[in-house]
Amino acid sequence: MRRLLVLAAAALALAAPVAATAHPLGNFTINRYTELDVQGDRLYAVYVLDLAEIPTFQARAAGGVNGAAYARRIAAHLHLTVGGRPAVLRPVRHELAFPPGQGGLETTRLEILLAGPKLEGRSSVAVRDGNYADRIGWREVVVRGADGARLVRSSAPARSISDRLLAYPKNLLQSPLEVSSAQAVVDPATAGGPPPALISPQLLADRVGVRAVADPGFARLIARSSVGGWFLPIALAIAFFWGAAHALSPGHGKSIITAYLVGARGTPRHALLLGATVTATHTIGVFALGLVTLSLSQFILPEELYPWLNLVSALLVVGVGVSVLRWRLREWRHARAHARGHHHHHHDHRDHDHSLGARRLLGIGISGGIIPCPTALVVLLAAISLHRVGYGLVLIVAFSLGLAATMTGLGLVAVGARRVFARVDLGGHAVRLLPAASALVVLALGIAMTVRAFPHVT
Amino acid sequence: MPNKLLIGLAVLLAAGFAAFLGGVFVEPPAQAPSALAASQSAEDFKAGFALDASTARLVESLQATLEANPKDEQSWALLGLAYQQRARETGDPSYYTKSGGALDRALRLDPSDSLVYSGLGSLALSRHRFALALKLGRQAHALSPTIARNYGVIGDAEIELGRYRSAFRDFDTMTRLQPSLSAYARVSYGRELIGHTAAAITAMKLALDAATDTAEPAAWTRVQLGKLYFNHGRYRAAEREFLLANETFPNYAYALDALATTEAALGRLRRAVGYERRAVDLIPLPQYVATLGDLYRVAGRPLLARRQYALIGAIERLLRANGVRVDLEIAQFDVDHGLRLTHALALARIGQRQRPSIDGDDVLAWALTRNGRCGAALHYSQLALRLGTQDAVKFFHRGMIDRCLGRHAAGRAWFRRALALNPRFSLLWAPVARRYAA
Repeated sequence: MRRLLVLAAAALALAAPVAATAHPLGNFTINRYTELDVQGDRLYAVYVLDLAEIPTFQARAAGGVNGAAYARRIAAHLHLTVGGRPAVLRPVRHELAFPPGQGGLETTRLEILLAGPKLEGRSSVAVRDGNYADRIGWREVVVRGADGARLVRSSAPARSISDRLLAYPKNLLQSPLEVSSAQAVVDPATAGGPPPALISPQLLADRVGVRAVADPGFARLIARSSVGGWFLPIALAIAFFWGAAHALSPGHGKSIITAYLVGARGTPRHALLLGATVTATHTIGVFALGLVTLSLSQFILPEELYPWLNLVSALLVVGVGVSVLRWRLREWRHARAHARGHHHHHHDHRDHDHSLGARRLLGIGISGGIIPCPTALVVLLAAISLHRVGYGLVLIVAFSLGLAATMTGLGLVAVGARRVFARVDLGGHAVRLLPAASALVVLALGIAMTVRAFPHVT
Repeated sequence: MPNKLLIGLAVLLAAGFAAFLGGVFVEPPAQAPSALAASQSAEDFKAGFALDASTARLVESLQATLEANPKDEQSWALLGLAYQQRARETGDPSYYTKSGGALDRALRLDPSDSLVYSGLGSLALSRHRFALALKLGRQAHALSPTIARNYGVIGDAEIELGRYRSAFRDFDTMTRLQPSLSAYARVSYGRELIGHTAAAITAMKLALDAATDTAEPAAWTRVQLGKLYFNHGRYRAAEREFLLANETFPNYAYALDALATTEAALGRLRRAVGYERRAVDLIPLPQYVATLGDLYRVAGRPLLARRQYALIGAIERLLRANGVRVDLEIAQFDVDHGLRLTHALALARIGQRQRPSIDGDDVLAWALTRNGRCGAALHYSQLALRLGTQDAVKFFHRGMIDRCLGRHAAGRAWFRRALALNPRFSLLWAPVARRYAA
């Protein structure tokens, strides 16, 4: 029953999808957000343009995305009327970022602050977004009043349900918004208010670059701007923590490590060695995959590599399982031979097993660390795009160390449990069977992983 | 699940290949022409299909119902189907993700609702999971054997898997159970496949008559009718249908793409470019982008053409990153444009194995030909033409094979057949056919 549970857990872990930073709406959507802000007696607008991978690729091919030019063009097609008469919206500021998308492609996020006229007395305002009218995507309009300004009536909500296109609702009962105009009547204040704030580039990289990742807490570290003083050790500690927590999510061969160490009469030294292997493999794996993504993305996509890595990891476990099983069988035969009284070959099993054991240990460690955690990959890519490569590298090492710490800890628990188990004499039978059972568990897990991984690579 | 979202793009791409998917959602009006159908339409009405309300309003009312009562299985199932129709109407693939979510909810509430299985089946079809679609369709059918819709899902999957005989039988059963737009459209497609063009046109006109007030299925049917005309060189008739389709349902990408092809056949390249650009802007399906690139190429704008071809590369990467299989489509594009020919052949082999339909056979035959393996190509070309389909592109490919095998007279005969059927069957290859036919 327990083995079944473990098997089921392993299967589940492998079935979990690779977190890719896909655009939350389709990869060809152009998503638009218009926000009218009455700040005191001044009218402002915030416009957000979110281009998914394909429109970004098209824009790049057609000469690139120039923030200022885009802002002017968008302003020209954002129609504002105050009291029924057309009013001008003038772009004042903009922020532009290219958050990484899927398939090694980028997406675009442009935020524009536009200044409108001063309002005097109760005014009716209307806005209509004529940009990209035929293109598919999320279209949202929000009208807000602040600093003493009051909305008398408004056809639009005062709060964005997509958080300014940063978090599209996943609610099954919410259709993609298709709102591109709004009317409102406002009572402005008599004094001016401050212009609404645009998202800062740091926050942008933070929020958008990591939107689809499993461990956003870790990924956000890279976007923190102040790197100095006490921040670095704290960041490293947080990265370590996230690594340790991440290791507790399904996968990472925890059950395999436990089964192996219990069966192989592992010592604390073995557990530490395992941890070190996991750290090294994971760090190297993330860097290698990052390199592939950056330089070879014309030929290989990271998303395509994951199935192969899964298979390699699974085959490693099978190999270790077979090897352990053979070792056990040989031992068992020796034991029988000894029992029958043939004392003629006396080599030291322990030494022989030791070298083999180290290799098996290495195999298990590599299989546990070879699949780079997608979050770590995102951190690496974000670090490169933010020109904070060194910082990113240390973060990833800390993350991998955290990962290994959990594994080592589990290993140590397993070792300790086995020793207690061995000391309490439960009738030698169970203790003698334990190593063979553990070999079978490792083998079964490996086969299950292979069966799961294989269909994905063809 | 974020990485599922792009699958929507493939979904729309599938709509091009499995074109007869159309109208799966909309069932016939209350005045359906047979007694059997009349008894069925009562159920449809209950299900909300025959309502005058547009799909958008149907979606809103179902959403409101479910806000109030989230355990309403029937509404979840209907919402799942309605989202699929919205995806077709808006081209927005996120509706497909929502459809999958809604159908899953329905399934959890009632694991024995055949409507849910057929809905998941049509979703699987859209995602090119043909074997899965067949399984789901059969599950739905086992639960309620008299529902016409299930035969549609099963038959559509069978067509893509190359099991034509049983597919045609299923389409016939579907029509007997419930003559409707979707049934007639499928019958028409079957007739087209076996080369009975006039009969196919008749059936498609019947499908058009059966269209309800919902605009998109009617527009879709017009596009199919126009394509039948186009495939037989009747460009003006085709153009009329495409224009009507785009009038019925404005900014309809399928109609705009078809219009582009027709305008190009009529020699109006500038207009063709305009239409295709609009289609690509709406839904960047690889085949639309390829057509736009070809149009630019023929119009003497190599830079713009190359830009489109590069975009196909990006789209392919996105689809692959999402685990969507578009091997056949990519192989076809690469072979047509003389790119990575050995790689394209490998892709075509994989694609044909997954989709052993006449289209799969034809792409593989074409890939083999362009790699100089004309003997092997002949075998697959024979398979591709086994139903007697009147398709100028397939005729042309056969002509190239015969020519490559040194059978020049036979080759010329195929080129002439292709040109007689549809003199402008391809922007790139019709001129080649004309040269070799002489």
